[in-house]
Amino acid sequence: MKNRSVSLALALSLLSAAGMLSAADIPDRPEKLHYPPLTYEPPRPADYRVALQSGPIAYIVPDRTLPLVTVSVTVRTGSYLEPKGREGLADFTGNLLVRGGAGSKSAEELEERLAFLAATLNSSIGDDSGSVSLNLLSKDLPEGLALLRDALTAPRFQQDKLDLYRQQAIQAMKQRNDDSATIHARETESLAYGTNFWACRETTGASVAAITADDLRAFHRQWFHPANFTVAVSGDVDRTAILAKLEELFANWPFTGVKPGPIPTDTKMAEPGVYVVNKDVNQGRVTVLLPGVKRDDPDFPAITVMNDILGGGGFTSRIMNRVRSDEGLAYGAGSSFPGGWTYAHAFQAGFETKSRTVAYATRIVLDEMAHMTEAPVSDEELNTTKRSFIDSFPGTFNTKARIAGQFATDELTGRFAKDPEYWQKWRGRIEAVTKDDVSRVAKERLHPDRAVILVVGQKEEILKGHPDHPVKLEQLAGGKLSELPLRDPLTLEPLPPTPPKPTP
Amino acid sequence: MKRLLSTVSAGLLLAGPVLAQQIPVVEKRLPNGFRLLLVERHEEPRIAGGWVAHVGSANERPGITGIAHLFEHMMFKGTPTVGTKDARRDLEIIDEQEALRDQMRDEESKMRTALRKGEVTEITSPEARTGRYKELEEKFKKLVEEERGLLVKNEFDRIYTTAGASKMNAFTTEDMTGYFIEVPANKLELWAWMESERLFHPVFREFYAERDVVFEERRMRTESTPVGRFYEQFNAMFWDAHPYNWPVLGWPSDIPAISKKQADEFYALYYQPQNITLMLVGDFKSAEAEEMVGRYFGRIPKGTQPPPEVITLEIPSYAEKRYNAEAETNPQIDVLWRTVASGHKDSYALEVLEQLLNGRTGRLYKGLVLGKQVSTEVSAGHSAKKWAGYFEISAEAKDGKTLEEVEDAVYAELDPLGREPVPAEELQKVKNNFAAAEYRRLTSTFGILYRLIFAEGLGDWHEINEAGARIQSVTPEDVKRVANQYFNKENRAVGHYLRKAGSGAAGDEDPEIAALSPEQKPMARQLIGSLNQEQDPARLKELLARMQTQASQGDPKRQQLAKIIRHKVEQRLAELEPKK
Repeated sequence: MKNRSVSLALALSLLSAAGMLSAADIPDRPEKLHYPPLTYEPPRPADYRVALQSGPIAYIVPDRTLPLVTVSVTVRTGSYLEPKGREGLADFTGNLLVRGGAGSKSAEELEERLAFLAATLNSSIGDDSGSVSLNLLSKDLPEGLALLRDALTAPRFQQDKLDLYRQQAIQAMKQRNDDSATIHARETESLAYGTNFWACRETTGASVAAITADDLRAFHRQWFHPANFTVAVSGDVDRTAILAKLEELFANWPFTGVKPGPIPTDTKMAEPGVYVVNKDVNQGRVTVLLPGVKRDDPDFPAITVMNDILGGGGFTSRIMNRVRSDEGLAYGAGSSFPGGWTYAHAFQAGFETKSRTVAYATRIVLDEMAHMTEAPVSDEELNTTKRSFIDSFPGTFNTKARIAGQFATDELTGRFAKDPEYWQKWRGRIEAVTKDDVSRVAKERLHPDRAVILVVGQKEEILKGHPDHPVKLEQLAGGKLSELPLRDPLTLEPLPPTPPKPTP
Repeated sequence: MKRLLSTVSAGLLLAGPVLAQQIPVVEKRLPNGFRLLLVERHEEPRIAGGWVAHVGSANERPGITGIAHLFEHMMFKGTPTVGTKDARRDLEIIDEQEALRDQMRDEESKMRTALRKGEVTEITSPEARTGRYKELEEKFKKLVEEERGLLVKNEFDRIYTTAGASKMNAFTTEDMTGYFIEVPANKLELWAWMESERLFHPVFREFYAERDVVFEERRMRTESTPVGRFYEQFNAMFWDAHPYNWPVLGWPSDIPAISKKQADEFYALYYQPQNITLMLVGDFKSAEAEEMVGRYFGRIPKGTQPPPEVITLEIPSYAEKRYNAEAETNPQIDVLWRTVASGHKDSYALEVLEQLLNGRTGRLYKGLVLGKQVSTEVSAGHSAKKWAGYFEISAEAKDGKTLEEVEDAVYAELDPLGREPVPAEELQKVKNNFAAAEYRRLTSTFGILYRLIFAEGLGDWHEINEAGARIQSVTPEDVKRVANQYFNKENRAVGHYLRKAGSGAAGDEDPEIAALSPEQKPMARQLIGSLNQEQDPARLKELLARMQTQASQGDPKRQQLAKIIRHKVEQRLAELEPKK
């Protein structure tokens, strides 16, 4: 049946359309199918890249099929630049840049106008970059660009909107101990990088109370300058016309900013051991931490492949197969080995399971990590991972906004300068990873005996373990088990253990 | 792509004409009953493929709640040739497992009896198992071990993954079960092979481990989240007669009791070709795709009896319902009104109403957050499901404001909507956003598939192209009429969520505690936590009396602490014995 002729295919389709065909032509295994060839070349940054005379690098990806435009300005700034005692300043500046009025418009007027145009103008500042993004119908682009310029150069930081955002921030802080997932995320960061590391500094009631409108103005003027911008434009634009508009957008900047210094990288992982936060929920959340990697590490492709086989690849990964499919212990289970671009992001493996099987499932994950270091992966595993990365690659650039956005990000993080052919070479680098590479990086990077293990859940139930699986949590990771306190949601000072329930 | 001009009400000088963008869907029907929807898009060399089974938790009955969702999980377990090295022995083992499970179910019945008698407190704890159950469980584990030796683990997923597919997943709602994936453009035939194979002859191997996975999903989503259990209960209170009143994930008693036999019956009834719509969006030629789908899916026999529809109609609501909870959350309210099902003629005006209320220029934000300042966050949503619908407004109270104040402020915003027509410009703002959304939804291939699945699952995919014009033609009178008709007291259920006392999250916002020394703070917090849980005024009075006698003793720092505690005792007393 392999070499069906065209006429046979036609006949078959007629028969099947008439509902008269049995399964005769359908092979019993998918390997017997044959596919037409598919070639794909990723877009090249150089085709879209323009150095604007007004300062920023811009990526223009026209797409005239829909009357929509996205203009996105990425800003070299971040919460790492916040002064001590003003934690939250970057986030506040990012939000209020567009929510607190701009230029001749009050916050209320700006919101009404954007809403009437069905335009979105959003802004945020994260750990190590900021973004101001406009999306609207192309007929409204001139007006939209004027509003964008106002937001970038003349935000009003209206006091009532600052007070409102502060109130919202404080009330959000009060929920910090409500969800075990929130507690878990916070303590994971602290254990992985140390509470003194900038990315682990948290807002407090006092730090956001101290933020004034003048602080926002100073932070904005310091970093929001064309020299710190990269720009991504996609959608219904003509390249030449939009370039002229962008030059106008960034010309004659009313103030001079400064270039931020390097992003600190002084992380410090906690001592190996098991750390438990007691929280009254019937499912324990577990993360196994190890030191991570930067994405420009020459081993990063091999590490990516190794992690995919261990726990990154979903249902084709070992951790998912063992913890979920075999044992039914968790809904989600897996690992990640993300490459940081500024500092090494930690390796994490994790899952959630009922209290009594926390120790058992943790043992399985540690065993799978050890197994990666002890025996080579199978040909099939390696092939699945490589084909998956390589053949799903076109999805990376599946919208015009993503093409422009990815290239602008590469510009900001320096990847384009360092490795301009990165996307052209990416599939080849994955293809080149061998079984030996996978074994070598596993041996170098995976050390279950030195892991930092965080568990959030009902401590007493979790420590009981399960009668069918005689492993105890306190036996894992070198046998050191300590309890981490819950933290006061507004000060982050340690809280005493939950008071015992009063007798009725 | 076709563009057609939609109607816009006259007199709107501020807006230009609005263009509605149609999604060019080709609809076909296979002889065995499958419907097929095709949307060509050639932007990238990918195809998003999916299908929706017209079955959800609303089709279940008490005792097997959660089966639609568990079944969705089982559809990834393979076929006779995918997922095992020895199909024959694999099926034998599954039968042997079922025989053991029947015996285990007899024991489970005894365990439930023990629970009713109070002999065990938790049926799922390892200690609740009977001796016979443990023996059977050991035998069962041996069969699982043997099966594991034959399994090709998660091979269904591995085949797709190795082929460069991505985004494979599925979901279950009250109304539908949707399955979707994205494949490289040259592998349409793989999609047809995989999906028709699993629809034709799925094998439910590893059934009982997967059932445990689903229970962990329930723990994760509902039981171990701050408000999950409360929302579940509130929902159960909202619907009187309709099967929407049980959770999609199923009741905790039902999930661990669902049998593979019940899953087989469920498959036979609800996964017949005439109950399924197939969909492809992306880089293919429609004629070729139609031929291929016909060839692969056409071989599946038509079902013998049509799947039953949901008959039970919700009864009218005769009285307001109220739900008062204390949870680990900031104080918030949730108000639900009964409305209409998807596609009902009033649903478009209700969608417009939702957007008049929503957003930073919406009436709720302006009224509650900016104006009266009783709330920090507020949102509205109309949820028109297949068989019935509801309108929901949620709001978080601003610190210091009561939930009653928030609730009153919500009604104060709704009241004028039922009395006065909406100003033209405000209505146009909302319509402009609906019109722009018609374009925004077209930017992603996968997004189009997702919309098709949902619209078809709710009853009719044509809604994705027809709803736009209907929304544009909603008049101020329509909005006024639906506001009057649905926002009635008898028609609503109101949930109040207060922060549970002593949940370790009150924080240092209390200035009295903030003034204490770091050594004193923990003790003060602990004491106040206990005080807030005390229900007996007499005990508080006794404590107060004892503290009075010791007031003159100790150093100034301790006296400061004592003063604060006294104050807190008095506050708690006032709460318990409010002045008339």
